[in-house]
Amino acid sequence: MIGAVLLVVFVLLLALDVPVAFCIGVATLAALLLSLDPGPAIATMAQRMLSGLDSFALLAIPLFILSGILMGQGGIARRLIDFAKCLVGMLPGGLAIVNVLSCTLFGAISGSAIAANSAVGGFMIPAMEREGYSRDFGAAVTAASSTTGLLIPPSNIMIVYAVASGGVSIAALFVGGYLPGLLVSLLLIAVCLLYARSRGMQGSGRTSLRETVRAGWRALPSLMLIVVVIGGIIAGIFTATEAGAIAVLYALALSWPIYREISFRDLYPILLKSAETTAIVMFLIAASVAMSWVLAYHDIPSQIATTMLALSDNPLVILLIINLALLLVGAFMDMTPAVLIFTPIFLPVAVELGMSPLHFGIMMVLNLCIGLCTPPVGSILFASCAIANTTMSRILRPLIPMYAALFAGLMLVAYVPEISEWLPRAFGLID
Amino acid sequence: MRAVVNAIDRIFRGLLALLLAVMVACVTWQVVSRYVLGSPSSWTEELARFLLIWIGLLGGAYAYHVKMHLGLDLLSQKLSPGARRVQARFIHAAVILFSVVVLLGGGLSLIGLSLELGQYSAALELPMWVVYLSLPLSGLMLVVYASLALFEEPGRPSPADGAAL
Repeated sequence: MIGAVLLVVFVLLLALDVPVAFCIGVATLAALLLSLDPGPAIATMAQRMLSGLDSFALLAIPLFILSGILMGQGGIARRLIDFAKCLVGMLPGGLAIVNVLSCTLFGAISGSAIAANSAVGGFMIPAMEREGYSRDFGAAVTAASSTTGLLIPPSNIMIVYAVASGGVSIAALFVGGYLPGLLVSLLLIAVCLLYARSRGMQGSGRTSLRETVRAGWRALPSLMLIVVVIGGIIAGIFTATEAGAIAVLYALALSWPIYREISFRDLYPILLKSAETTAIVMFLIAASVAMSWVLAYHDIPSQIATTMLALSDNPLVILLIINLALLLVGAFMDMTPAVLIFTPIFLPVAVELGMSPLHFGIMMVLNLCIGLCTPPVGSILFASCAIANTTMSRILRPLIPMYAALFAGLMLVAYVPEISEWLPRAFGLID
Repeated sequence: MRAVVNAIDRIFRGLLALLLAVMVACVTWQVVSRYVLGSPSSWTEELARFLLIWIGLLGGAYAYHVKMHLGLDLLSQKLSPGARRVQARFIHAAVILFSVVVLLGGGLSLIGLSLELGQYSAALELPMWVVYLSLPLSGLMLVVYASLALFEEPGRPSPADGAAL
């Protein structure tokens, strides 16, 4: 009953274009007022919202947002693109593949998909257009491949999952994301190769070894960030939050005194943009934590778990149902509230099926990455359209093979736990 | 009226950037004090967490004003200008309802409770109502911004793009 009220109010408000954070807030409020004494209920809800933000782990998110924006402005993306061009530019469909690889490399130093999307897309989409690719295809490639940054560490959404799951190690999640992220990136490169072959597109000329080494040398300071930040976390030298602060200092040092791509005057807009993005994410987190508390109070997650486990005797089928449900959620909801609200609901089912919380988290993130590129709510989709100056309906067609690639990646990650678990185990981060 | 709102916005933006800068400085100082000076600072972590709460709640109100929150825009694209005005008013009313009841009402009762119990934070020994104050303040700002918008012509709907991680 309470669950139904929550769902109906949420969907109704969402359909009326109320911002998602307030849909969550009002739905939670309605459910609370139906079931509890109003005075204490409202105070508890306010308290939950506040305590949801009171977390040292979450502090990593604004830091990685800020370092991502600094990297996007600081010429770091350009150096990564130049390097990627030397490595894969000669393949058929070269520039599209350069786009995928650049997004992947950028994702390996920044924690957000949106930063990779604008930093790489802003340069690569026009460059691809000049070489005869349609602008819509360029925007589609950028959208799909920038999601790899959420799998490859550092990753803000993995931090959110670590908090929501109540205890999966951030270091293990970060390391576990590498192979799934690279897998998605390879699948997208395959799509680009097929696209180029069907259109008879050639790569750009081969670059000499000397040029490649030179581009690699120029990209090296940016790529060193991987060693410093992720290396430090894996070795247990510092926490993800401390690593975030180091990433900010490193990106600031590279883009300000060394590359001289930003000046003191640029710092204010960069700080403001980071604070705005942080606030939007944190406001969503506060509302989602309150909703998740109401769900738990009414024992709804365990009821859903019982229902789901009764649907089939076959764990593989239940896993597929969870994935389909998450794809639907991802189409309508932003990633952060989806992780916070649906982790407590689906994680117990997954554990019952024998999945590790680490494996489930990585699968969930990959699943919701697809949702970032699908209408009606897909922030990466919106951002790519804005950068390429095109419309959502026009980039959906070139996105179809990319959806297929992402879905294939999702199925592999869902049913082959080793893809997510082998690397963290090799580093001794899980047993 | 416009001038007053613009002035408040400017202060708000400055405050948000400042809070974030101080937060970054806190975590940085914590790293430096632990690894370079060898004596980890005890209060920077707590201050950084409280700043994050303030950025989240106050910034959430500001983000509503500048239409940065993520949401659908399918309905508003289909409506006639007259119907869209009604729809926009409904959205602002829903936001005002939430802000008054949960952020203002709930926030003020939390402040009352913490004054009654005399709660202080662990490291900084800051009275907890200072932290809780972010709730009613965010609620107040949201009510002001949404009320202003109630009497404005709705502009062209545009999907927000600021919310993705």
